[in-house]
Amino acid sequence: MSLEIVGLTKTFGATRAVDGVSLSVPRGEFFTLLGPSGCGKTTLLRLVAGIYPANTGAVRLNGRDITHTPMHRRNLAMVFQNYALFPHLNAFDNVAFGLRSRRLPRNEINARVKDALALVKLDALADRFPAQLSGGQQQRVALARALVVRPDLLLFDEPLSNLDARLRDEMRFEIRELQRRIGITTVLVTHDIAEAFTMSDRMAVMQAGKVVQIGRANEIYRAPANRFVANFVGPINELALSRIEMVGSRRRALAAGDLSVWLPDHINASGRDDISLVLRPEALRVATGEIGTDNCYQAEVEDVVYLGGNSECRVRVGGIRLSALLPSAAAARLRRGEQVSVGWNANDGVVIGGE
Amino acid sequence: MTGLSSVANNRAIAPWLFSGPLLLVMGVGFIWPLVQVLANSFHPNTPQGIDFTQWTIDNYARLVDPFYGEILVRTLRISFLVTAITAALAYPVALFITRLPPRAQSLVILAYISPWLVNTVVKALGWTLLLRTNGVVNTVLRQFDVITVPLKLMINEIGVIIALVPGHFMFVLLPLWAALSGLDPALSWAAGTLGARPSAVFWRVVVPLTLPAFIAGLVINFIMNMTAFAIPMFLGGTRTMVASMLAYQVNLISLDWPLGGALALALLASTLAFVWVGQRAALLMIAGHRLPP
Repeated sequence: MSLEIVGLTKTFGATRAVDGVSLSVPRGEFFTLLGPSGCGKTTLLRLVAGIYPANTGAVRLNGRDITHTPMHRRNLAMVFQNYALFPHLNAFDNVAFGLRSRRLPRNEINARVKDALALVKLDALADRFPAQLSGGQQQRVALARALVVRPDLLLFDEPLSNLDARLRDEMRFEIRELQRRIGITTVLVTHDIAEAFTMSDRMAVMQAGKVVQIGRANEIYRAPANRFVANFVGPINELALSRIEMVGSRRRALAAGDLSVWLPDHINASGRDDISLVLRPEALRVATGEIGTDNCYQAEVEDVVYLGGNSECRVRVGGIRLSALLPSAAAARLRRGEQVSVGWNANDGVVIGGE
Repeated sequence: MTGLSSVANNRAIAPWLFSGPLLLVMGVGFIWPLVQVLANSFHPNTPQGIDFTQWTIDNYARLVDPFYGEILVRTLRISFLVTAITAALAYPVALFITRLPPRAQSLVILAYISPWLVNTVVKALGWTLLLRTNGVVNTVLRQFDVITVPLKLMINEIGVIIALVPGHFMFVLLPLWAALSGLDPALSWAAGTLGARPSAVFWRVVVPLTLPAFIAGLVINFIMNMTAFAIPMFLGGTRTMVASMLAYQVNLISLDWPLGGALALALLASTLAFVWVGQRAALLMIAGHRLPP
């Protein structure tokens, strides 16, 4: 393991900003801390960086305990949300800062800074001051400044949130590609699901200072650990369940709207009360004819919204409304007020319970 | 849009409209008298008053006299020492204040401004109560047997310096505190994570970025020291005469306005020269790097 965090806690006054977090990141992995603002993800990152001291718990980097190591001796690097470039230094001197702190010989500094600037395609702008660079260029300088010191760990604090949408998409892939090529262990903080999904190998979803789920993007998306994760990583249909019963080897339940539904084979809901069935919109099928799913109901089309490649189709079934995501070609055949079939395969649903 | 607002919208006129009233006051109340002082200084003084028919540089020649030279050097020395002591104390104090909770910060800043809430003569008299031979400081020190002979803390340059340092400290502290408060903490964190120890973060990031405010404060501080009157008067006495006291005597006691004019202009020139040299030296010394554009 490259980075290990064990029972880390940080309080600000009465607030537990980070509450007993444990996780580990293997060498070379791109790991993301994902969560809404105020969930403690940035505080956790700052604890790892050594910006704040931790109350309890430990941080280990490549086997050495750095919990109480001052930040200048942790040998990590951080890219900040606003880049935090030194406004009084040009791009070259910004990148050279970490090497000069390490008192490397002048010719080695020059060579490594040039390499780092070339890596982010900024070698032509080495003399520019931060104020003379665009947002994307500043971002690249910040990246070069972090990479040039060859840190054991690279930390990103919402690095793309200040860029416009197009550039952001570009930088996502560029950073990901660079990280793979160098093979550096990386921890990124973001509230942006798309960013987390496109860039990271694994991610931890955080809520109120705690890690609620760790996994790959598809695990988080398809099998959210609780209602919060399910809601956070994408739109859902949620049906409250009651009266779960075994029918042979399968489970059946009564869902909101008086629907009798077949449940997925694997249920990891912890508590017995407040259990719901979660359905992603793309798991639902809607058609005028036969749809051949485990669960199938008569419904009425309420609205069809064209979204480009896909369309969102809202249907009313029993007393409830379901939202389905269909290919636009299929959705085009549906008319408002039309009677249709709506359904899904039992194993495309996820049963969640508690918070 | 009509009348005043349309005039104000005219890009050429608007700036003058807004700065005009103050420019007028400065012109009539400061620039014109200064021109008169300049003119006076080139005419001889006679028992009948200033002889405007004659032109002379005698008034400036008289300043070469060691008596005046000594006063000018003393004024510069005291002002420089006060500014130097202030410069040494300003960063530690300002950094300390920025790390306090917001409410405490305003209280401490108020404490540093408080000397200016007191009349300068009252303030100078207050200092004499503390610093005179049987004043508070000497009494306490003798009570605890720290000293046997009272320290001579006033009617000398030490007394003037002791009173001027806290009196003019806020001129450096306020701009520096504002600059430090405005500094993005992420800059220090970035430097720290890049391997800079706290002292390196201070010298390589914090100081260069707050230097303009610091130097501006030092310039104001130095000028205030050069022109201080009441404190040198009460705590220095006539034996440690400074330029402002001399100007007072020449202009208002001897009523020799031509000499007073020459003196005032020499003081102005030496202050500006000293400020200019000091500013250049400080920039070169502390910031041995390129400055932001």
